[in-house]
Amino acid sequence: MTVDRHDEFVDRLEAYALGQLSARERLEVESHLLVCATCADEVRAINDVLEGIAESVPPLQPRARLRQQVLAAVADVPQERARGLAPIDVPRRSAWRLLPLAAAAVLSLAIGAVAIRSEQSRRELADQLRRVESSNGELLDRLKRFSGQADLAISSLTAADTREIPTAGRDDAPAMRAFVSPTRGLLLVADRLPVPPAGRVYQVWIIEDGSTPVSAGMLGDEPQGRGMLIATPPRKNVGGGVTVAISDEPPGGSSQPSGTVLPVGSI
Amino acid sequence: MTRSSQLQAAPHTAATEADNDVLRRLANGDREAVAELYDRHAARVLGLAFRIVRNSSDAEDVVQDVFSQAWRTAPTYQAARGTVVGWLLMMARTRAIDRLRSRQSRRDVEGAPDLEAIPSDAASLSDQVIASEQAAGVRAAMATLPSEQRTALDLAYFEGLTQTEIAERLRIPLGTVKTRIRSALATLRRSVRP
Repeated sequence: MTVDRHDEFVDRLEAYALGQLSARERLEVESHLLVCATCADEVRAINDVLEGIAESVPPLQPRARLRQQVLAAVADVPQERARGLAPIDVPRRSAWRLLPLAAAAVLSLAIGAVAIRSEQSRRELADQLRRVESSNGELLDRLKRFSGQADLAISSLTAADTREIPTAGRDDAPAMRAFVSPTRGLLLVADRLPVPPAGRVYQVWIIEDGSTPVSAGMLGDEPQGRGMLIATPPRKNVGGGVTVAISDEPPGGSSQPSGTVLPVGSI
Repeated sequence: MTRSSQLQAAPHTAATEADNDVLRRLANGDREAVAELYDRHAARVLGLAFRIVRNSSDAEDVVQDVFSQAWRTAPTYQAARGTVVGWLLMMARTRAIDRLRSRQSRRDVEGAPDLEAIPSDAASLSDQVIASEQAAGVRAAMATLPSEQRTALDLAYFEGLTQTEIAERLRIPLGTVKTRIRSALATLRRSVRP
């Protein structure tokens, strides 16, 4: 991955939003979107326009029966099934003559019980399927994120103008390495970060001398305290008076640090 | 209050709030919320579906598919990713284009006819209903697009053609297709956020 490939992604965002890409191309773009806020913003803006196009089409009043069809289609439990369990009225008949009715009642109850068990099984299977689909979706998102991060990390680490930021060297400094490139941006890689307080996540800050901290993004919440962040380069004075730090913040991040600020290193 | 007047009267922000509320109930398994969602947006979903498939039977199938999918996937809906109506219309477009392509394949094999007039009992609500200022702005801006840009965008959005297919259909270079679509979207974007 090079910066030129980033430009390739920019070139494909309209086609992505319009659903014109192949499955493989779509996956590549989605991997990139997970780690590139600029392109993600661009896709959101394009989607706003596409939504406007869809909304600009004149509506059509549906036929009345369509509403019933739709509601019937989404109905989960058919109503007819409960009727199979209705009690059978068998007054004033001899025991022998009742035998066929009794057998029918037993059969009816058995069928009803099987139907109920089948319905329960169906629901359990549907629940399991939903959980598997959800889990697959999460795994796919993580895979895409990793793929996009790997591309950008290679781009950053192999750039001629990339240099490592000396870490703070303090005992309480997280196991983290940081690299900066004026053209590729800031790359932070962390391992064995201390577990943040409950309900908090790590946010990265760039603090230029004399300025308020600027958020560089969230570090992620991978297991084993691992994380990677690629951010745009500091806007000015790269090479002097810039500190990179992390702090624990609420999910979604804060506009200014509210938790304990740990300096990572200075540029 | 009729369905159309519900759509017409509600300010967009209030409508968005109401949509989010319906989606929350849907996600919590409230099946009655499907009816409410349908009453709020079926006309718009049907309008878009019909615009794409040009066949009332297929368009109604799309509507049924969309609301079934909405019911099924409501727990995974994320308001931060877009509005409810945008979510429904995105599903409608995807399913309608799938049907269009499937029908195209069948027609290639069987030679079956495809276009159909708007059904008489599915009267157009037309301009009575303005979904949002955004839609009104886009509609006005689309009318100002140069015809070659409008054609390329229509083929991409309403017919679901890839850039290569558009280039072949219009017999123009692929780069020209990209430029026309990008220019069209840029113009429309300015109408959404001046």
